[in-house]
Amino acid sequence: MASTSPAHIWLMRAAFPSLALLYIFFHLLPLDTVPRQWAPPDLLLAMAMAWSLRRPDYVPTVLLAVTLLLADLMFQRPPGLMALFVLLGCEYLKPRALTHRDTGFVAEWISVSLVLTAIIVLNRLALSLVGVLQAPLGLILIQMLLTIAAYPLVVFASQSILGVRRMTSAELETLGIRL
Amino acid sequence: MAGDRSQRDDYTTPLKRLLIAVCCLCLALIFIVWRIDSPRVERFRAQVVDAVVPNMEWAMVPVTGTINLVRDFQSYQRLSKQNRELRSELRQMQAWKEAALQLEQENARLLDLNNVRLDPQLTYITGVVMADSGSPFHQSVLLNVGSRDGVRDGWAAMDGIGLVGRISGTGRNTARVILLTDAASSVPATIQPSGQSALIAGDNSAAPLIDFLENPDKLRPGDRVVTSGDGDVFPAGLLIGQVASDPSGRLRVRLSADYERLEFLRVLRHHGTEGINTPGNLVTPPPGAPLPRPRPENLGADNG
Repeated sequence: MASTSPAHIWLMRAAFPSLALLYIFFHLLPLDTVPRQWAPPDLLLAMAMAWSLRRPDYVPTVLLAVTLLLADLMFQRPPGLMALFVLLGCEYLKPRALTHRDTGFVAEWISVSLVLTAIIVLNRLALSLVGVLQAPLGLILIQMLLTIAAYPLVVFASQSILGVRRMTSAELETLGIRL
Repeated sequence: MAGDRSQRDDYTTPLKRLLIAVCCLCLALIFIVWRIDSPRVERFRAQVVDAVVPNMEWAMVPVTGTINLVRDFQSYQRLSKQNRELRSELRQMQAWKEAALQLEQENARLLDLNNVRLDPQLTYITGVVMADSGSPFHQSVLLNVGSRDGVRDGWAAMDGIGLVGRISGTGRNTARVILLTDAASSVPATIQPSGQSALIAGDNSAAPLIDFLENPDKLRPGDRVVTSGDGDVFPAGLLIGQVASDPSGRLRVRLSADYERLEFLRVLRHHGTEGINTPGNLVTPPPGAPLPRPRPENLGADNG
């Protein structure tokens, strides 16, 4: 399938918020109303990064910002803050999409882990600066580590099921991006 | 490296950078506005949730049902063991039932003697739990009743037995209940036989802490914890749970409400407890009443 045709790009742009809504939907199901001792990985975060690194044109800035803000609102987080840091992280990763073509997956994974850690640390710092009640540190650390661990799975699923893989040189040329 | 730079410049044109800056500014602004004027933004959040979640309900109900069905099916595997446990529990229950029957008769007799009337204003609306908070850091559920049904912020939500939480955030069709286990929840309570007041503070664990207790030595595990009605937060006397102590020795409440399966919640209509603001007429004369004549000053001197 021609992954550079405008129709396909718009389809994938619609796919990102739809998947985010699906993720929110499954999180909101009233299955567990007892507090848990662990936190599941933040797959939305991992997906935003994986897509930013593979096909930056599938996740334009405004779309990313709106989707992340919606997630903030639905999950009772302080609205805007987490979205701001994730957006900054993704925009930091996007220009590196082309450089990571040449290095292996491990290098990509390491840089994603660093960005993730930075997001969590900055978020926590900002919250403590303005004096907002914070979630327990243990839970946040668990969530961060699980998100990093789940990143390869998210990449694999995005590539094999949704076809979000790096552009080949020919595709780059049709889009008018010089190598 | 030189080629690398040129690509990067190609990719993030100044226009794109401007867009990113504007988006970040908007998000930061939203956060700052939330920090300064939290209630307004939370109302906006409630409206967003109100718009989004009821649209998902048609799918949520069957999916939740299916997942619960699968879970129930898994529990069939432990059926025989469960059966044995249930039998032994049933034997204990029969003993309790006898005790309960006797107590009920006694209670009815005493109520009759005292001519007690339970608060007739305490009526309730029942709502169905539509969604939970969706994050492991917050404990709340969303009910399908809202301001349309007259639900207001601050009302108590119970399941059949015990207090579950309080309404915080109402949309038109939905209302959010902050559970007692949430870290932001604290409820004034009385602990029954000793009559001490305390604060039940959630800390994201299944059993909230008992805080601000005057004399912890007077408590026994198993004491009843009920709401005290202090601060006009809740009506007094709603059952919260029983005192228990955790392995590190801190006192906690084992909640009576069944948090494993929150399905239907009662929202108690509470119109505030009536306060006594004026002094009684016997204690001080009503305003405008003639003052008693002052005692003559030379009375004591004459006698002496």
